[in-house]
Amino acid sequence: MREFTLTDMERLGAFDEAERTFQMTEEAFRAFYELTARPVRVYLARMTNDDRLADDLLQETYYRFLKSRTAFENDDHRRRYLYRIATNLVHDHRRRPHVETPVVLTSESHPAFSDPGLAERAAKRIDLHRAMARLKPRERSMLWLAYALGWTHEEIAASIGVKSGSLKPMLHRARQRLAGLLKSGGRS
Amino acid sequence: MTGTECVHEPLVVEAVVSGRWPARVDEALVAHARECEVCSDVAALASMIHDDHERSRFEVQVPAAGQVWWRSAIRARLESTQSAMRPMSWMHAVTAAVTIGILLAAITVAWPMLSPLGDQMWAWAVGYFQNAEVAAALASGLRQTVMVGAIAVAVLVAAPLALYFVLSGD
Repeated sequence: MREFTLTDMERLGAFDEAERTFQMTEEAFRAFYELTARPVRVYLARMTNDDRLADDLLQETYYRFLKSRTAFENDDHRRRYLYRIATNLVHDHRRRPHVETPVVLTSESHPAFSDPGLAERAAKRIDLHRAMARLKPRERSMLWLAYALGWTHEEIAASIGVKSGSLKPMLHRARQRLAGLLKSGGRS
Repeated sequence: MTGTECVHEPLVVEAVVSGRWPARVDEALVAHARECEVCSDVAALASMIHDDHERSRFEVQVPAAGQVWWRSAIRARLESTQSAMRPMSWMHAVTAAVTIGILLAAITVAWPMLSPLGDQMWAWAVGYFQNAEVAAALASGLRQTVMVGAIAVAVLVAAPLALYFVLSGD
């Protein structure tokens, strides 16, 4: 394929066009982004175990969100839709053939280890990351949305694309698996 | 309460997610969670996950909103340019096909004119070389040469054109 490049004039025009193409103004986007970017980035990092990939998927998530033509009822609906895009992107990425590069968490890579008082807490977080990494992607999503973000079962079911009635036993199983992994130090 | 669920579970989760667990929660709920297997599991895991989420939110670096907007705007512009260019690629392919068709038609039309040329060569060869076998072989060779030459000319004209259109289509 030919590589397309834009001139400076075209770049300037891109901003005017973006206001027409995207579903919100730049000002509204900035406000929404400030509220959601960090939690979404953390969610993506936990789902992928790959910080670099999480950065890429964060940009892609917001791009798709801006391009979507969905009419949102309120901010909660908008926020849930954003997570749905992020979840789908992670699943799409997982389906593609690639070499997984698991993140190795060490005392050097974890900022909390610089403070000895926080070492124990940081060690628990590392155990949690390792255990989460061993769960199935859907289990990770469910647990994160339920316990990190406090979503209701209906909201989680809609976001990950399962029936609301099936979610409770699925969440229970995921919780049991995570508890088991934490007890065994992240080994299945 | 069943082995897999407890009616108090949503209250425990809500308390953990709102950061009230266990200090700022009804003591009866905390006492229940100590006894209930489901609620104690939920409280322990939800606390770990929520704590990780809260800390990670402050540690994580995200690009500025303006940067994300800018990249998205540029990408949207590029994609719209690409989609606008797509019909042009189709036009190139159609033009290439028409050019090749015209060339083939021209060869077909010109062929009857080339046949008398072959006959003239035959007559010339018979007149020049007194030996009929040598003349026949030479004339046959010349006739084939005319045919190959005509095809070569067509290909030499058509190939660069086709290449141009194929590459410009990319």
